[in-house]
Amino acid sequence: MAADVALLATARAEGAAYLRIYRFGAPTLTLGRFQPESDVDFDAAARLGVEVVRRPTGGRALLHGREVTYAVALERPAGPEGSVHALYAYLAGALIHALRQLGVESAVARLRTGTTTPACFTGVEGADLRVGTRKVCGSAQLQRDGWVLQHGSVLLDRLPFDESDLLRFPDAATRLEVRRMLGERTVTLRELGVVAPARTVADALIGGFATI
Amino acid sequence: MLFPEDLRYSEEHEWVRRDGADAVIGITDFAQDQLGDIVYVDLPDVGVEAIAGAAVGEVESTKSVSEIYTPVTGEIVAVNGDLTNTPEIVNQDPFGGGWLLRIRLTDPAEVDALLDAAAYRALVDG
Repeated sequence: MAADVALLATARAEGAAYLRIYRFGAPTLTLGRFQPESDVDFDAAARLGVEVVRRPTGGRALLHGREVTYAVALERPAGPEGSVHALYAYLAGALIHALRQLGVESAVARLRTGTTTPACFTGVEGADLRVGTRKVCGSAQLQRDGWVLQHGSVLLDRLPFDESDLLRFPDAATRLEVRRMLGERTVTLRELGVVAPARTVADALIGGFATI
Repeated sequence: MLFPEDLRYSEEHEWVRRDGADAVIGITDFAQDQLGDIVYVDLPDVGVEAIAGAAVGEVESTKSVSEIYTPVTGEIVAVNGDLTNTPEIVNQDPFGGGWLLRIRLTDPAEVDALLDAAAYRALVDG
């Protein structure tokens, strides 16, 4: 996450846009910028070998595992084009193109579920890309000094556990509900019939961002 | 979109209201609209010295985190504690209940040097 913040600082210092594509070395739960640590079941994280870090961006907890992650840093356009939603829409063009190269037709999510849980991927918002009604790529943003960092991930496949195993819930029923929602509202490339090496997905992302 | 005539504005989309020796600061209607639903406001401690142009806090909307800049210099004498539990007031009433900070002005002339409503409206209309 520090490298993403450094990407933003470098872009700003050099007056250039930067793209970074990466993967997490070990399964990692990232918390939103202001999300309380008390949301996390640290014993469960240790047992499952999951690292816990904090993102500089907003949103809720997200488990990174079998995915390809992008971070892009660019100057925020002046006027309405610089709004959070306009920037998401602009950058979504790159992501939609990348997924299309992989044979996946996606669209910007229009629905906001209104469900608040500590797990990021249970919500589907305008910042996200969906296939049908299921999220395939979620993103988050930081705006600082007129510059923008946006990062997000494309899900390749599932891990044998998910956010519902790593967060604290008031009761077992809520945990099960979050697990059900995660399964129902997200979709991986593998589930869409795309079994591509991470390198291929990375190349598609680079190609997608080259179009905007 | 509201642009109250009695306020001054910064290019970073904060508004400033003079109140005696103090300035009350918030983010504009345009800013809250651009950010979307605000879910958390991180404000500085009272007593901190704020320098014009510096980041003094952060606003988190549903999918973004943005810095808050102070357009004026001085000591922060109050912050809006209501936003801890009800940050959505910034969306609902950005120029009233959604105020962020009160600063004891080091140089009141700094306020006069900010944009007036017409100049700020011209800025956001592009």
